Amino acid sequence: MDDSYTGLPTSHLLGSVPAATNDANNTAKQEGDRGRGYHTLDNPPETFEEQPANNWRGVFSISSYTQYFNVDTDVVIFRLISSFNPYGGDFFSKIDANPDLYGLIWISTTLVFVLAALGNLATYLMQKHTGTSTSWSFDVGYMNVAACAVYGYAIVVPLAYYFFLQYMGSNASLIRFWCMWGYSLSIFIISSFLLLIPVEALRWLIIILAGVASASFVALNLKSYIEGNELSVAIVAAFLLQIALAVFIKVWFFA
Amino acid sequence: MSHSDTIPLHPSSQSDIDEIENLINASPATVLPARPPSPPRAQIPVSSSLPPPPPKPAPPKPQPHSFPPPLPPPSSSVPAPPPLPSSRPEIAASGFGPAPNTLTEPVWDTVKRDLSRIVSNLKLVVFPNPYREDPGKALRDWDLWGPFFFIVFLGLTLSWSASVKKSEVFAVAFGLLAAGAVILTLNVLLLGGHIIFFQSLSLLGYCLFPLDVGALICMLKDNVILKVVVVCVTLAWSSWAAYPFMSSAVNPRRKALALYPVFLMYVSVGFLIIAID
Repeated sequence: MDDSYTGLPTSHLLGSVPAATNDANNTAKQEGDRGRGYHTLDNPPETFEEQPANNWRGVFSISSYTQYFNVDTDVVIFRLISSFNPYGGDFFSKIDANPDLYGLIWISTTLVFVLAALGNLATYLMQKHTGTSTSWSFDVGYMNVAACAVYGYAIVVPLAYYFFLQYMGSNASLIRFWCMWGYSLSIFIISSFLLLIPVEALRWLIIILAGVASASFVALNLKSYIEGNELSVAIVAAFLLQIALAVFIKVWFFA
Repeated sequence: MSHSDTIPLHPSSQSDIDEIENLINASPATVLPARPPSPPRAQIPVSSSLPPPPPKPAPPKPQPHSFPPPLPPPSSSVPAPPPLPSSRPEIAASGFGPAPNTLTEPVWDTVKRDLSRIVSNLKLVVFPNPYREDPGKALRDWDLWGPFFFIVFLGLTLSWSASVKKSEVFAVAFGLLAAGAVILTLNVLLLGGHIIFFQSLSLLGYCLFPLDVGALICMLKDNVILKVVVVCVTLAWSSWAAYPFMSSAVNPRRKALALYPVFLMYVSVGFLIIAID
């Protein structure tokens, strides 16, 4: 599956800066094209013949990544809803034909923003609730920590699992791992809203429930992906890592 | 060397040659070969409204130059170009036009031209007008000065409003907006949409104008309810401004996928505006 990293698929070339192409010499056509985008038709043959020789160039061209974003709104929503169900275990079969990175990127970005914003709000509410009447203060540092934590977790953990599984011999697909871990973070977005309630015991209850749901989503899907039994350590580790993320979120942002 | 046959700056660009030739025919001697040395001084009175001809002290020096012949005659017919910057905005705007005019015009003319372009782009993007629905027309003459000013202004306003960690606030706001604009554009491209990269950056920057106004109001009046109301209104305005462009750029089945990140970015900026105390 991963040879497609290196090749350039059919590139209906997309709107980069409208360079002065050799064939479009009259400005009228170019100005008309500015709105429509940039439909060049003579580039695909060139890319195809270059493909075997200069594969590394695909890294810098947008068209080689569009295959990972080939989803429609309803597909994304379907995957999102199925990520709320911790006991399905069949997420990988749902994304098998068409894994997407859209979920990973935007769910983690939303989570960063939600943690930073609601974390500040929750800290303020908690302080007001316990009587120490502090005025509102916004700590921008939350944004930093949230970004590092969420992006770091969402990118590094699947990468580590990919390398580990490759080392163990079983066949792993990095994009599918990224996709699955990305969608598993969606539960935390909802629970962040619930964590605003300034009752400490309730907060712990909520985060434990969310953590367990998310972690079992990850673990069950991983288990169904890796058929072998000797890697159950890895599955338990994945479960525990997700729980650790949940606890970290509670402790740092919603103290 | 043929002086009558102007050496265009970009010989590969046919249209510019046409324009330059038209200029030559219209006003014969204004378009000089782009000679780097100071002789073009003689043309300074050309495009400006300044009566005193040589603001530059060089005039006596060029005499010993070997190329004086073409210069004195042009200076006589020099008054022709002044309408140039305003009558041919495309040339002046692209900077490809007769080099001496845009290089030697007074700074105020350049600044005025850029400012008027910013204002006209703003009117096209942010305020209701009949061309909004047509993305090709709306921001045809995009530029990046406007977005730059708006982003920096928003960062500065937020930084001034903050009582602690001012520089971190500015960094977060600036980084969020600048990186956000680039990522949003890449998002549309990755989803298979058709937009032009810099045009989209320009549009997202211009759509920040309402949030700038909101941030200014929030900085001056520090009442929470007022802040929430102002930010909601300006947020809705910004989203309304960005909507037609973004939604027409992608496949209709992916419209929400392209619009959601725009909304997320504006909401996070709005939240920063409300929350910064």
